[in-house]
Amino acid sequence: MEASSATVSGDRSALQRSPLHRLPDRVLRWGLTALAVLILALLVYFFIRLIGQSHLALSKFGFSFVFGNDWDVSRNIYHGAALVVGTLITSAIALLIGVPVAVATALFLIELCPRRARTPLSILVDLLAAVPSVVYGLWGVFVLGPKLIPVERWFANTFSFIPFLGGGGSSITPGNYFIAGLILAIMILPIVSAISREVLATVPPEHKEAALALGATRWEMIRMAILPYARPGITGGAMLGLGRAIGETIAVVLVIGDAPTIGHHIFDQGYSLAAVIANEFGEAANTPIHSSALFAAGLVLFVLTLIVNIIARWFVARGTRGMRAAGDITDAVDAATVGSGALQ
Amino acid sequence: MNGVTLHGISARRRRTDKVMRASLFAATLIALVPLVLIIYYLLYKGLKAWSGSFFTTDPNGNFFGNPGGVRSAIFGTLEIVGLATLIAVPIGICVALYLTEYGKDGPFASVVRYFVDVMTGVPSIVFGLFIYIVLVISHAGGTGFAAWKGSLALSLLMLPIVIRSAEVVLLLVPDSLREAALALGAPRWRVVTRVVLPTATPGLVTGSLLAISRGMGETAPLLFTVSLAFGLTGNLNAQMNSLPLQIFTDITNPRSVIVTRAWGAALTLVALVLILNLVARAVSRRSRMA
Amino acid sequence: MHIQAKEKTLTRSRITALTLAIAASLGVAACGSSSSSTSTTSSSGTSTTSSSSSGSATLDGAGSTLAAPIYQQWGSNLKSQGLTINYNPVGSGTGIADLQTATVTFAGSDPALKPTDTKGMKGPAFQFPVAFGAITVSYNLPGVKSGLKLDGPVLADIFSGKIKTWNDSAIKSLNPGLSLPSTAITVVHRSDSSGTTNGFTTYLSDVSPTWASSIGSGKDVKWPTGTGAAKNSGVAAAVKQTTGAVGYVEQAYALENGFTYAAVKNSAGTYVLPTISNTSAAADGVKVPADLGISTINSANPQAYPIVSQTFLVTYQDPCKEGASSSVAAGLKKFLTYAFGPGQQTLGSGSSQLPYAPLPSSLAAKDNAQLAKMTCNGSAL
Repeated sequence: MEASSATVSGDRSALQRSPLHRLPDRVLRWGLTALAVLILALLVYFFIRLIGQSHLALSKFGFSFVFGNDWDVSRNIYHGAALVVGTLITSAIALLIGVPVAVATALFLIELCPRRARTPLSILVDLLAAVPSVVYGLWGVFVLGPKLIPVERWFANTFSFIPFLGGGGSSITPGNYFIAGLILAIMILPIVSAISREVLATVPPEHKEAALALGATRWEMIRMAILPYARPGITGGAMLGLGRAIGETIAVVLVIGDAPTIGHHIFDQGYSLAAVIANEFGEAANTPIHSSALFAAGLVLFVLTLIVNIIARWFVARGTRGMRAAGDITDAVDAATVGSGALQ
Repeated sequence: MNGVTLHGISARRRRTDKVMRASLFAATLIALVPLVLIIYYLLYKGLKAWSGSFFTTDPNGNFFGNPGGVRSAIFGTLEIVGLATLIAVPIGICVALYLTEYGKDGPFASVVRYFVDVMTGVPSIVFGLFIYIVLVISHAGGTGFAAWKGSLALSLLMLPIVIRSAEVVLLLVPDSLREAALALGAPRWRVVTRVVLPTATPGLVTGSLLAISRGMGETAPLLFTVSLAFGLTGNLNAQMNSLPLQIFTDITNPRSVIVTRAWGAALTLVALVLILNLVARAVSRRSRMA
Repeated sequence: MHIQAKEKTLTRSRITALTLAIAASLGVAACGSSSSSTSTTSSSGTSTTSSSSSGSATLDGAGSTLAAPIYQQWGSNLKSQGLTINYNPVGSGTGIADLQTATVTFAGSDPALKPTDTKGMKGPAFQFPVAFGAITVSYNLPGVKSGLKLDGPVLADIFSGKIKTWNDSAIKSLNPGLSLPSTAITVVHRSDSSGTTNGFTTYLSDVSPTWASSIGSGKDVKWPTGTGAAKNSGVAAAVKQTTGAVGYVEQAYALENGFTYAAVKNSAGTYVLPTISNTSAAADGVKVPADLGISTINSANPQAYPIVSQTFLVTYQDPCKEGASSSVAAGLKKFLTYAFGPGQQTLGSGSSQLPYAPLPSSLAAKDNAQLAKMTCNGSAL
């Protein structure tokens, strides 16, 4: 790859470039900055309007909106702990299942797959992003959910001694936390995989070749040379996937069981913040306290995503800081470790 | 390697290598299984709705007899998502450029990043409701429901995805490239437009495609901003049909022929996104540098 | 080097050009073949759009999902008369909210207007009863294909979880001739807020004081037992999938898809099936208040099916004051005249009629009388 034919204008050296020549630079810089400011202003305005619409419900219910457990529409009582718990559980399941599979898929496609099969297989994986959420939900509730009930029942009864993961086998329905998490995992797979693929494709060949030259097996090369380099980018992809999982509405509505209670088992019915908005807003619009409560649910989601993102970014920063400081040294140490292993 | 005896790789390491490679292959298969099942399900339920008239007639509202096709929905989706893409993709890439080239780790850039990250987690329905409150109720632009307002809601949804994925991709452009161009005397703006952007184009296309695919399948943002209209129209300042809303209306209809039309529309949506993906990849591959 | 550089920049602009070209050609194609309802906004900045040509208009509506097939069919029938009706079945609540902000010309609502609804309107609003739909108690019991009888208190106990099996003595005593299995009862209810839930729980509150005090009625209640499913189709599918399931499903849906439903005891003591004629009977003889805000739950008519929901069309008394153009107002009048007249012929139990119960003639007359009171900026429509 080479830089484009950027030539020095005339025979002036860069140091003597006139202000006129610096103008495009300035324009670009200030243009982009202005755009970023505009977008930030828009997002802040969005946040403010959201707070404004939630105010009625939040002032009435206070903290019990998030920590109380009683969502009763007919009595206009809105305490949404069950919703928060459901959102966290389903998103956690989605990440735990979806991210490893997505990264594994990306690794396979970039590192191990024969070159000719790479593009068609990539397109297939990306096709998962083309399916509308409502189709995922319907497929989940009509096909996947019922088919998996016997498996879930077996699992719940066999492992009933494990808290949360086991037990509750007697009343399993097609819609529950696990199915919702599984459907979400499938939905975030294309996002995480596509971004991971982009990241993996740009790992410098020198890192990989160094590891291989020192005698690493393919998997060791992946583990030592590729994954550490790709970690920040992959985490970025995982964060996008998490965002999708936390905020997904229609699909979750159809497969979570929609019971505003806190389930004690992974195969219990539950509810989520996004699902409740989708389920109830159509009828709530002319009841101010109800619609305000639904906006407040959106606001809680906003804050939840913020907290999770802060934690994730902190994790990544720890990793990359170490890497940037001792980047080449780490590579050398890794290669040496691999090499010494080769000589055993 | 001739004549030199190197110790081979231990059996344990060889085994680990084989197991892990098999696992990666298995994971890819696992990832593809739901796709195959869902596509099969979509075809099983929706293919029977496909016919010539399915694509060339509009829905007519008839309960009995021929309920019409989904032509206006297809055009509506293309128009609404097209406008949303025109808004979200350029702006998103520009903001990502700002974050990677100029803002970097500064405080303002960090604030922007956090907000963008959080926006990826906002449910699509909340974007629709935001536009509903701000633009629809106030009859901005002279109308209540309008297609361009739906495009705005969709672009709010797509923007964080574009920014976030573009940022990841732009960060992957090696600094050495930038420095080489600068060392050759190129001004900053040339480095950005002639070096950074072209290098990142395939990744930018991927990220934009992710956002567009997402936008095409979303119902809730359109439900409260564009509403529904069966007729074919090019007027972006009025109600317009769209595939997700057509599916939404039809899928709970008592009449099974109309429910089948909903599935046909869902299949059409997936086909549209597939075509879009293929076209965009083909166009961007021409410039792939490797 | 130059050539490659050129190619790269060309690609980005190529993508942009391609996109713009597609968008432009789509716009041209669409404009060229768009239907007669090309929309131009009227001068007073309103959402309702109209065409300046002879008597044609576009009416925008939103609201009840129960009434959606009716309005869509009427829209199709009235196209030849120049009316385009766009109806968005987003839910009764949003329909009312949209009307309150004059974002739609008319709203479809199953429940009658509450005082808070009327207060939020920009001006005086009229509600017109338009049609009726029964709420069936559909169930899935392989051995019992017909003849199941249930009464109010038993239904309340089933849906509150007090009665757990089909061969419970309470059900047996109502059905001495049937052999009921010991299958467990799985209750299926709506997970989304809906007017159907409102109708069903209103009935249960009417017939069971325990239900009224512990659970109450509303578009969404805290169900003590059972699984939730989204929309009629979700409940219907859940009932079909689970042996021993029972749920409440709209009549149109149950009739179109061949469901098995129970006969329910009405206020006169008769066990009635949810047929169209029994549904119409519920509207006959019900008390009609001055604002036409009727309720057909637990009707006193001895032939009536007891769980019947009405659906209203709500609009402003003077649409023009809220921004509608005169042609839209005229179109609205044409629409409403059709709705209470020839439109009613499209509803009924005939093979080409929509499976809803039409208005009894006395009620249609009251609707027409109220329609006559509508104005456009003070003068009669």
